[in-house]
Amino acid sequence: MYTLGIDIGSTTSKAVILNENKEIVAQSIVVATVGTNGVSKAIENVMTESGLTMDDMACSTATGYGRQTYDGATYQVSELSCHAIGVHHVFPDARTVIDIGGQDAKVLSINDSGKMSNFIMNDKCAAGTGRFLDVMANILQLDISELEVEAAKAEDAVSISSTCTVFAESEVISQLANGIPIPELVKGICESVAIRVASQARRGGIREEVVMSGGVARNAGVRNAMEKELGVTIRYSELSQLMGALGAALYGLNKINA
Amino acid sequence: MAVKELFAQLHEIAENPRAQLDKYLAQGKKVVAVAPIYTPEEIIHSMGIVPMGVWGADLELNEAKKYFPAFISAIVQSILECGIRGDYKGVSALVVPSLCDNLMVLGQNWKYAVPDIPYVPMSYPQNRKPAYGKKFCKASYERVINDLTIATGCKYSHPALRESIKIYNEHNAVMREFAELASEAKISAVERHDVFKSAWFMLKEEHTAIVKQINEELKNGPKADETARVYVSGVLADAPQLLKVFDDNGVKIVFDDVAAESRQYRTDCPEDFQDPIDGMAQKWANMDNCSFLYDRDKKRVGMIVEQAKAHKAQGVIVLMTKFSDTEEFDFVPIKRACEKEGIQILNIEVDRQMVNYEQASTMIQAFKEMI
Repeated sequence: MYTLGIDIGSTTSKAVILNENKEIVAQSIVVATVGTNGVSKAIENVMTESGLTMDDMACSTATGYGRQTYDGATYQVSELSCHAIGVHHVFPDARTVIDIGGQDAKVLSINDSGKMSNFIMNDKCAAGTGRFLDVMANILQLDISELEVEAAKAEDAVSISSTCTVFAESEVISQLANGIPIPELVKGICESVAIRVASQARRGGIREEVVMSGGVARNAGVRNAMEKELGVTIRYSELSQLMGALGAALYGLNKINA
Repeated sequence: MAVKELFAQLHEIAENPRAQLDKYLAQGKKVVAVAPIYTPEEIIHSMGIVPMGVWGADLELNEAKKYFPAFISAIVQSILECGIRGDYKGVSALVVPSLCDNLMVLGQNWKYAVPDIPYVPMSYPQNRKPAYGKKFCKASYERVINDLTIATGCKYSHPALRESIKIYNEHNAVMREFAELASEAKISAVERHDVFKSAWFMLKEEHTAIVKQINEELKNGPKADETARVYVSGVLADAPQLLKVFDDNGVKIVFDDVAAESRQYRTDCPEDFQDPIDGMAQKWANMDNCSFLYDRDKKRVGMIVEQAKAHKAQGVIVLMTKFSDTEEFDFVPIKRACEKEGIQILNIEVDRQMVNYEQASTMIQAFKEMI
């Protein structure tokens, strides 16, 4: 028996197929989102990788920003619940999840039963999200994946005082004009994201283990800055960006087994 | 008339206050606009004037921005925008209570931005209960009467006020009964809201007659089958798209502490005062449990917890009007009290200019999944 989880995020579409033993059979991340062929491409990828078809799926669960406009799923669940389920599966001792996605940041509390017990979402603002990093990488003419490499080179970080993405963009340009080295700027940018999301996390209450999920969790610069800001160890998995889709597939599996 | 037809009737009025205004004007009646949050409608009604609520609208703010700073409630900004646009053309005056910084600024800006509709201030004392507070309150009511007499030519009399107080007290009772019946009845968030919103645009005796019929239908109608029950607090729960999110997710609003809704109907005016204006001042003194009413003990917090429990709410959703500092100050003790009682609480920031409810939708869906 197989279940399909589909996470239609604001910048990427993710799909995961699980077998009945809760093992990942196939996974895919496509940089395209709702309103594009990103979802169908992600599903096509996992079907090709696994050699399965939709007929083999006992059920499918959609989550993420585009979940409500995708009508091919058996279930539709919020991405907050799915990230909580996915993280709890990979890190059973996780009690706080910091999920930074393409256009929002969420902090989830998980109780001892593995159930989401509280959550806080960011304001309707790009600051402290993946979009902020995208904009900054663009100014610095770096690929988003190069940010952590550059941040690792820096001894010190330049403080980016503006929380607004637009103002921060101007601030970074000014710092470039002042001759500040790019690694120091990148480290400052990562710290800026961490400071903003950490204050959100403190509102929800920090209980260890703390796990980062979502696309931005792949950036070690932000993870390190978050550890420093919160003073706790941040756990991370290579599956971080797939936690929503994994949680969705697990949700479906739990429904089937219920 | 079937309950669905009654709801449809109120929905039409709630969605089209201009038609209602034109209807009253065509009947030769004077209409006065009443701003949030506790305008002394009984006095206006007793003078033969139709009080119509103005709580702004979901629209783009352009002209109002000339008068307001950026960080101020979009409710008052949109009231001014509507005034400047001419949406209230035909009303004889606007009465604005001075209950928060936002409302005080609205009144001052109104005088210059909409000079053809007179501004009538209602200055409430925050020390409501002492004798000097009631005396101040009475003097403010008398000023409103004087200003309205000048603006409309309508006259005031004690017997007429006594009669209006009875009409308003009956309406309060009918609305309280509706809120209780709606707690268990099969009724959508949109329908529930329409009953409250339409009250702002109708003579209360007309509204009472319809809500009485609704209440009778609800007593014998089908019961709610939603799986999640929530208590809602805030200034406004007005946006149709937001209310639809509740309905689409099977989240039932079982009771509320919304300023534009149940908060309006909690306190009756005593009918046994020789001078009914003294009765109105006593009503003001008796009011409580509202972020706009000074209360050092914050009794409202305990009331929210008790009402949520009494109506078997699994969670409390606060619809926080952006830049409403009075509401924001109360949120922290409300959150702590709910958490202490094991009641889940969610804060959603709302605004008169929201066009995208995706984030609110995700939060409400996740909240339902959590509770």
